[in-house]
Amino acid sequence: MSLFEIFVSNMMNIPIIKPLIDYLMGVPVIRFIVALILWRPFFAIAIAPGLGALGLYLLWIVYFERKLTARVQWRVGPLEVCRPIRGLIQALADGIRFFFQEVIVHREAHRPYYVQLPILAFIPVLIPIMFIPAGNVVGIKSDYAIQLIVAFLALISITIVVIGWASNSRFAFVGSVREAFMYFAYEVPFVIAVISMIFLYGSGNPYVAVEKQTIPGVFLNPIAFIVYLIAMLMATSRLPFEIPEADQEIAFGPFVEYSGILFGLVMTLAYEKLYIMALLFTILFLGGWSGPYIWIIGDLSHVLWLLLKTVVTISIIVIVRSIYARYRLDQALKLGWSSMLGLSLVGLVLGVGVGWFV
Amino acid sequence: MIDMEYEIKVPVEPPTELKSYFIPIPPEYVEETYRSDDFLVLVGPQHPGSGHMRLIVRVHGDIIREVIPDPGYVHRCVEKVAENRLYIQNIPLVERPSIMDSANLNLGYVRVIEEALDIEVPERARYIRTILAELCRIGTHLYDAAILSVFMGHTTGFMYAFGVRELICEALVRMTGARFTCSFIIPGGVRRNVGSDVLRFIYDMTFEMEKRLKTFEKIFIKNPTVIARLKDVGVLTKEEAIKFGVVGPFLRASGVEYDVRKVEPYEVYDELDWDIPVSDDGDGYSRFLVRVNEISQSINIIRQCVRRIPGGRVISDQICEDGRSIRGHFFDSLANIVLPAGEYTTLTECARGTVVFTIVSDGESNVPYRFRMVTPGWLYLRGFMESLKGERLADLQAIYGSFGYFPPEADR
Repeated sequence: MSLFEIFVSNMMNIPIIKPLIDYLMGVPVIRFIVALILWRPFFAIAIAPGLGALGLYLLWIVYFERKLTARVQWRVGPLEVCRPIRGLIQALADGIRFFFQEVIVHREAHRPYYVQLPILAFIPVLIPIMFIPAGNVVGIKSDYAIQLIVAFLALISITIVVIGWASNSRFAFVGSVREAFMYFAYEVPFVIAVISMIFLYGSGNPYVAVEKQTIPGVFLNPIAFIVYLIAMLMATSRLPFEIPEADQEIAFGPFVEYSGILFGLVMTLAYEKLYIMALLFTILFLGGWSGPYIWIIGDLSHVLWLLLKTVVTISIIVIVRSIYARYRLDQALKLGWSSMLGLSLVGLVLGVGVGWFV
Repeated sequence: MIDMEYEIKVPVEPPTELKSYFIPIPPEYVEETYRSDDFLVLVGPQHPGSGHMRLIVRVHGDIIREVIPDPGYVHRCVEKVAENRLYIQNIPLVERPSIMDSANLNLGYVRVIEEALDIEVPERARYIRTILAELCRIGTHLYDAAILSVFMGHTTGFMYAFGVRELICEALVRMTGARFTCSFIIPGGVRRNVGSDVLRFIYDMTFEMEKRLKTFEKIFIKNPTVIARLKDVGVLTKEEAIKFGVVGPFLRASGVEYDVRKVEPYEVYDELDWDIPVSDDGDGYSRFLVRVNEISQSINIIRQCVRRIPGGRVISDQICEDGRSIRGHFFDSLANIVLPAGEYTTLTECARGTVVFTIVSDGESNVPYRFRMVTPGWLYLRGFMESLKGERLADLQAIYGSFGYFPPEADR
């Protein structure tokens, strides 16, 4: 079987652009490209819910967070970049600015690691995307997909710690240590909350999890839901727990020395982590890609529902930034190791209990 | 709590910057610190939030052992400059150290001259001065609350406090023509009369401000994260607060009921009905709450002033014999005032505490022979440093904000 036949055998089914695709499949070279793009595993990783959607999401969420915070704070927020659409492309403009800014590598830095780690940090972001399915659009099908996503998510914190070490600055060092402390504080309750949901559904397979959610997981195990939500805030350094990056105390922590496009990369790291965690959150608690099937866009219907739920979740989460002040490190650790750990254990018992009936 | 000590055999050399740059501690102290398993952290002298200042923090792990302040980065020689200027030219000068609290400093300075020359201030001018002083007090407390909130990463609190402060600025504009540093109080009264429409505006503004302060209270003052950060942090007991010479709302937060406005009333404070907010805890949150309560007391004072304000002149007839305001012959009347020989001192309750103004006059020149100005920031700096001991390094910003320490004011 040739490569082309492999692509064609597993193509996206989108009725609305069917005539266009049929026409393009007749053109000699173009048909390979079209077949590759519409090959389901490739589409899942490269376009949605993979890289393409991630890029669009980043542009949206940076703008939306700034705008929402501004509205809460009696301000206007980003407006001047393309006024007719109310500054919607502000994040894009920032990205372009980062791209053309000088990248300064200071003398004390460990040069190879300092430069390559922001790029390497993308690997643990991109690998989980392979395992996240949106209906039948999926990169790799696995019975252990949820466990694998959690395992790869854990790597992101390690890259942040190493970034702080490679920066070789006092603030970056303090930030790395804080990140390491926070990592242990949220990771244990987070993993237990996920395990309780795996017990509840009886499998680590996202398809099984979504199938079993005739009632969304929020109502099946609300305690695990709360633990997951707080862990998500802690893991992505959102404001009540923005401890590793505290501007006023340690001047953006591990990322203090970065500039230019490297800063752009490390700055979006937390947002990317939030995206992956919110995708997993949607699959575990909000019924994943289940929703009214829209016939006209075919397979994209599942993708649409998954992304819609994810983006709405994240858009609600970003409002905490304008409500809360920052906790101290020891207070956050106390919360993580006492209340959250206890709650997650209760959630585990609840998950196992409900798992008997579902 | 088990305090375990691990001796590390690796010799740790002090960083070169502690030797090469000028810092006001002896090299032996640096050596001794590094030998005893502590290390020094320099906070500043870049703007840590409210002005340039350096704190040399000796930390043991995460716990602060000792803090040595290095103030003086915004020292502007106010006292020396004042010796070369006419008495009335010093009015804008003394406001500059703390621009958001300008009316209180202005009032303190002018009262020294009035005390020396025995000038009787008309009733209406005294009410206007009180309104101005209280407006600036509210503005300063809001400013400090904003700095406190941004120190704790709460940007909404910052924006809300400055948003509420806009009302104060608008009131000052309508009264005096300037958003701050209005230089409105002059020896013998105030510059201009304030119309009844402006007083009406200020009266209405206080209600609007109360409404907006409720929003601020919901989002910041009663916020659980804010309480968690400030409660039981940077505690100064009553005895300590007195010993270290803390002044103003920070002294009252430690349970000492001392307010110059009650003890030695000036202007019309003794005719009005108001309380001194006091707290017994002495921690960061009570220092903040005392100032929040002072805002409501100030609003109360302003309302009473607007209700009771009498008509009449706003400038004493000792300064300006005819006419209702000093406009047009300001320089003729006030430029050549010469204070009788002697030393004159007044105490004024500024927003952040007691301010002391002293003028020594030789009795023949129209500039001060010696001018002394002790601002509250300078007075409570010692208490601020002492309250940091034993706290965590992350609390430094929270305590800094809870004191509302303002380096330009302290350094003068």
